[in-house]
Amino acid sequence: MSFTLKYKNINEEREIPSENYTIKDLLNDLELSAQTIVSKQNGELVIEDTVIDEDDEIQLVQIIYGG
Amino acid sequence: MQCSKCGNPKVIIKKQQSGQLLCKDCFIESIEKKVIKTIKKEKLLNRGDKVLVALSGGKDSVTVLEILNSYRKRNIIDICAVTVDEGIDNYRQDGVDIALRHAERLGIEHKVVSLKDEYGITLDEIMQKDNHKGSCTYCGVFRRTIINKAAREMGATKIATGHNLDDEVQAIMMNYLEGNTDNLTKLGAKTESKAEEFTVKIKPLREIPEREIGLYVVAKELEVHFDSCPYAMQSFRGEVSELINQLSEKHPTIKYSTLRGYDKIKNILKKELKKDYAHGRCAICGEPSANELCKACSFLEELGL
Repeated sequence: MSFTLKYKNINEEREIPSENYTIKDLLNDLELSAQTIVSKQNGELVIEDTVIDEDDEIQLVQIIYGG
Repeated sequence: MQCSKCGNPKVIIKKQQSGQLLCKDCFIESIEKKVIKTIKKEKLLNRGDKVLVALSGGKDSVTVLEILNSYRKRNIIDICAVTVDEGIDNYRQDGVDIALRHAERLGIEHKVVSLKDEYGITLDEIMQKDNHKGSCTYCGVFRRTIINKAAREMGATKIATGHNLDDEVQAIMMNYLEGNTDNLTKLGAKTESKAEEFTVKIKPLREIPEREIGLYVVAKELEVHFDSCPYAMQSFRGEVSELINQLSEKHPTIKYSTLRGYDKIKNILKKELKKDYAHGRCAICGEPSANELCKACSFLEELGL
């Protein structure tokens, strides 16, 4: 079970580590703040509570930078 | 899970402060309505105004341009824009290009002014000097001077900036922490000066959280420059911002309550503490100035220019 992660220059396939693995869990794993990111699942904006499904394309867009 | 307003199951935001869920269309509408409400409440626009948008190409200024353009389309106001090129390598040019494309798309009068052309030095070059006072000090003063001059040259009656809720709360806290009561009297949705040469400044996004502006531009598919100013984290503002955001995780309404609290005491602060500066002219450039030299010219002198 895997999904594709797109974030900045990253475009990689990642394993879904557990059942009901959400975008929020992914952000935690990547040590990213949900306050600075918006997320797309298969091209559509979604909230961070969204569960990642097999073969999903998850795109993270950083909208806030430090300072 | 569905949109609290229309029932659409495609929710794009769960508002931390209220728990409200919104779909894309309802979210976009909510942001635009809120900005329009601020404009009405604070009387930011008058029919016939020519508004100069300080357009960096970032999410905030592009959002201001987008929403104010709805007033322009209804012939309530006219819009023009200025973009300041501070001269920051590998950062500023993308924003300038995006600003140019937005101005062209909307068919508005637009000019790009660089620090290099105006003052003969870029921000990068200033930061190479041993005696510099920190990037934000120069950037703020030079940018403000350039924008004010552009407003006069373009015949603007208002200057609209992209300051959002986070910016405003950071400014309130920074000035409070620094004990800068003078600057504390100058914040707010609309700032006017007694000097005629200073155009009235308005902040239509003052009540919109920064993250929601980011979501708005992505939802509307507006082209913006998402990048970090390489000098941003050197600033005190960066530290204050980090603290406020940490607090907001557990206390999601804290930015609003800080703003509301400030707004309640703003008039008292102005009455008690606002200084009436003597408005003379800068001996070098002729811009309005409380001292013999304006801030921009005194910085240039210190830098040996």
